Amino acid sequence: MRRIFCIIFILLLCFSLPTMAKESSVTYAGDSGEFIFTPGSSQSPTDLFPAFKDVMPGDTLTQNITVRNEASKKVKVKIYLRALGAQAGSEGFLSQLGLKVRAASDNTMAYMFDSAASETAQLSDWVCLGTLYSGGVVNLEVLLEVPVTLGNEYSGQTGYLDWEFKVEEFPVENDDPVPPTGDTFNRPLWFAILGGAGFLLILLFILRKRREKA
Amino acid sequence: MLRSMKLKIVAIAMVAILMTFFAQGTLAFYSTVGKATNVVTSGEIQFIIHETTEQGTAFPSEGVYIVPGDVVSKEVTIENTCTHPFYLRVKVVYGVNAQELSAEDCFKLNIDAEHWEFHEGWYYYKSILTPGETTPCVFSHVEIVGDKVDNRYIGKTLSLTVSAHAVQSEHNPITDGKTYTASGWPME
Repeated sequence: MRRIFCIIFILLLCFSLPTMAKESSVTYAGDSGEFIFTPGSSQSPTDLFPAFKDVMPGDTLTQNITVRNEASKKVKVKIYLRALGAQAGSEGFLSQLGLKVRAASDNTMAYMFDSAASETAQLSDWVCLGTLYSGGVVNLEVLLEVPVTLGNEYSGQTGYLDWEFKVEEFPVENDDPVPPTGDTFNRPLWFAILGGAGFLLILLFILRKRREKA
Repeated sequence: MLRSMKLKIVAIAMVAILMTFFAQGTLAFYSTVGKATNVVTSGEIQFIIHETTEQGTAFPSEGVYIVPGDVVSKEVTIENTCTHPFYLRVKVVYGVNAQELSAEDCFKLNIDAEHWEFHEGWYYYKSILTPGETTPCVFSHVEIVGDKVDNRYIGKTLSLTVSAHAVQSEHNPITDGKTYTASGWPME
């Protein structure tokens, strides 16, 4: 039985690893610390595009990026994104590729960026990804389209494109909405139980006193 | 006079402190910027042509001495050494180091017609060659045709050159299972 569980566990791990390997994240740790970019690659420690390696003509690939706020609960942050375009020497290759970026939770299919990968286009200026409370996330979906007509001269190429993330911290105000934490705590019910328990304790205490007097 | 000055300084300082408090209520605490350098790489098609003898040793690069009617062992296979599957075609070019002579018809190859299909001068591999896979032999023996290689060829060098082209099979459909109908075959 234990062996079967081991085999199932290993199989699940094998199937999940390729999926996990394609995910990337941008984490803000708070106190104006630096952003942490994962997973990085051998070409760049801050690479967010593990899914866009070894691409071939005709490929349409998706990269999911999780932007996460791990600052303290006393602050909320506004996170912005802008594109700086292709680095020198990468323009020729990246200009052949189409790139689209959108917030994955936004089902309207409205892309905040839709242009050649070498361009800055709609992300030339800072675009606010959202206001995040502690533990909050924004999921970005990046789509790369490699035209089937991409010529042999672009095989074995490496293209570098820069993105910048900016964060602004603000104090959490009293009238701020409670961020969804996933806690389904039913406050009135628990207070009712607490009140009932207190009432019972007092009742027991009174009964005990009366019994002692008698 | 001095007391009045002190009072003014204190008043200004108080106003400044109050303004600072109010300002803190509207400005962000901190602001920071981080840069991500993202990388896109394109794949490539790579293969190796193996030429061996039936003993499994590499075919001698300096060639072999032949006489008319000889059957030389020369096994030609192609290995996919990249991470992408591809279609493949092979061409055999004959030559001789004498302008007045022709190398055509001097060789007879035992082409493996089960796996290779001849079309317009090329032998097309009928399947997709997957990463790490090696094709069956295009041919395994070369016969020197005795009727063609006569005394005029004595002391001459005959050559047989194998060249290959590959084109990606991903996003590249073919018609009727014919690999020569794939798009993107390089120009000769």
